[in-house]
Amino acid sequence: MPMGCVLCVSACPTLVADSTNARGGPSERPDKIGGKLRALIVEDEPADVELMLRALRQAGFEASADVAQTAEEFTDLLRRNPYHVILADYKLPTWNGMESVEVLRREGLDVPVIVVSGALGELTAVECIKQGASDYVPKDHLVCLPEKVRRAMQDKRLRGEHKQTLGELARSNQDLEQFAYVASHDLQEPLRMVATYTQLLAERYRDKLDDNADKYIHYAVDGALRMQTLVQDLLAFSRVGRQGAGLQSTDCNVVVETAVKNLQTTVVESGARVTNDPLPVVVANGSQLLQVFQNLIANAIKFRGSDPLAIRISASKQGKEWVFSVADNGIGIAPEQAESIFAIFKRLHTSAEYPGSGIGLSICKKIIERQGGRIWVESETGQGSTFKFTLPATTPPGELRSRP
Amino acid sequence: MKTAPEVLLVDDNPADIDLMNEVLAKSKRHFHVNAVGDGAEAMSFLRRQGKHAEAPSPDLVVLDLNLPRKDGREVLSDLKTDPALAKIPVVIFTSSEASSDISRCYELGANCYLRKPGNLPDFMAVVQSMADFWLGFANLPQKEKR
Repeated sequence: MPMGCVLCVSACPTLVADSTNARGGPSERPDKIGGKLRALIVEDEPADVELMLRALRQAGFEASADVAQTAEEFTDLLRRNPYHVILADYKLPTWNGMESVEVLRREGLDVPVIVVSGALGELTAVECIKQGASDYVPKDHLVCLPEKVRRAMQDKRLRGEHKQTLGELARSNQDLEQFAYVASHDLQEPLRMVATYTQLLAERYRDKLDDNADKYIHYAVDGALRMQTLVQDLLAFSRVGRQGAGLQSTDCNVVVETAVKNLQTTVVESGARVTNDPLPVVVANGSQLLQVFQNLIANAIKFRGSDPLAIRISASKQGKEWVFSVADNGIGIAPEQAESIFAIFKRLHTSAEYPGSGIGLSICKKIIERQGGRIWVESETGQGSTFKFTLPATTPPGELRSRP
Repeated sequence: MKTAPEVLLVDDNPADIDLMNEVLAKSKRHFHVNAVGDGAEAMSFLRRQGKHAEAPSPDLVVLDLNLPRKDGREVLSDLKTDPALAKIPVVIFTSSEASSDISRCYELGANCYLRKPGNLPDFMAVVQSMADFWLGFANLPQKEKR
């Protein structure tokens, strides 16, 4: 029975300790030199195996190893035993040690692979690391091996911790989202009762009580109706997170055209002139992107100044992303407010001046960030506003992150 | 002589029953309103069981979805699969706007799906038009003698 440490899924310290104990393995962390170390060595030269083990033992590892000479042996051993590390010769008679990286990926295992080989040349070494090897040690420098093994193990542990933290974060976000959804959904019914019955009171008893009563009832009706709008907006906001990413190739020219068409009445009423430069095709959720453009254009119309309103939409490629811009010549925003306007329910004006609940920009922010972009505004009071947001160019965000 | 149509309201919220009655009472049309508060009672009303042995046979059922004892979706399914009841038009009147509920109800044979509006003027308008349509303009099936 190998004295192994787990090589799969999570590198969280407690989990490692638990599962190794269950297998009767070492309880120390393997990335501390001096711990027990189980290696899978891909090598056809027994003498070299001995040299590697000796180097590791001299540095204080209680090292033991299985040896694989073919891809079949390698896969078989990997399925049966847990390993801390894989030491792979680059060139074997029957296969290339680098293919072990491919096997690990296929098996869904995260075990660091260190290429241990004769003269390999810098280019090949770099290529190995690009393909997913953790490190490279020339056979005539085996003295470096223990430190590189230790570092690879530590990296793996950190990767696991990082992944776990991200997972916890995602879960807690999801809980919050679920809470917002359930709360706003369940608030609707009782709220409907309050709204309709205060309205019925107002209708039925108008002028039958005193002036104050009419006023108080009006306050209650108004409050209930405003709360209904807030609850519906909160629902719309949490719905963004509940929909799947739905990323697909999306022609932004069509999206903007649709947004303007949907806003036709307000565009015509306000006399706004909406123009756009040729826009790119991006990988995005089309209907959510439509919502972003529609919200930004509607905002530009709502917060227009005394000059005839001109809205210009453009995009430029900067590095690996597209930067979109929706510029207007409206009332603008004081720079110190530039960030807070994206917060949920944040409003800079009274509803008498400009109606609305302050949900639009927070929905835009949520949509853009979910698709791997950022959103911000560049503006001065009275100088118009330019809302900008980024989207990854051509590659969906998931694929961008697939390589660590 | 033609008798006044019978309407059965199925809703567990007395406030909604009252509100519907408020509107229906003002209608120029002539009809009787009956109301029950849960799905199981709705079925015994429709099947004239227990205390509902003398119940009239409804010409229109207005059904909420989230009901105690027997859910509105089950009531709808039972009603539409019972040959004696299947032809009674059923109007779903609920606060659910889930598209899954809407599709499911039509699949089960609902004749109309209406959402309860959140404010009084809209609520009144919806109930009024429902009464006008189903108890005025629409031709309803002849009731069988029971």
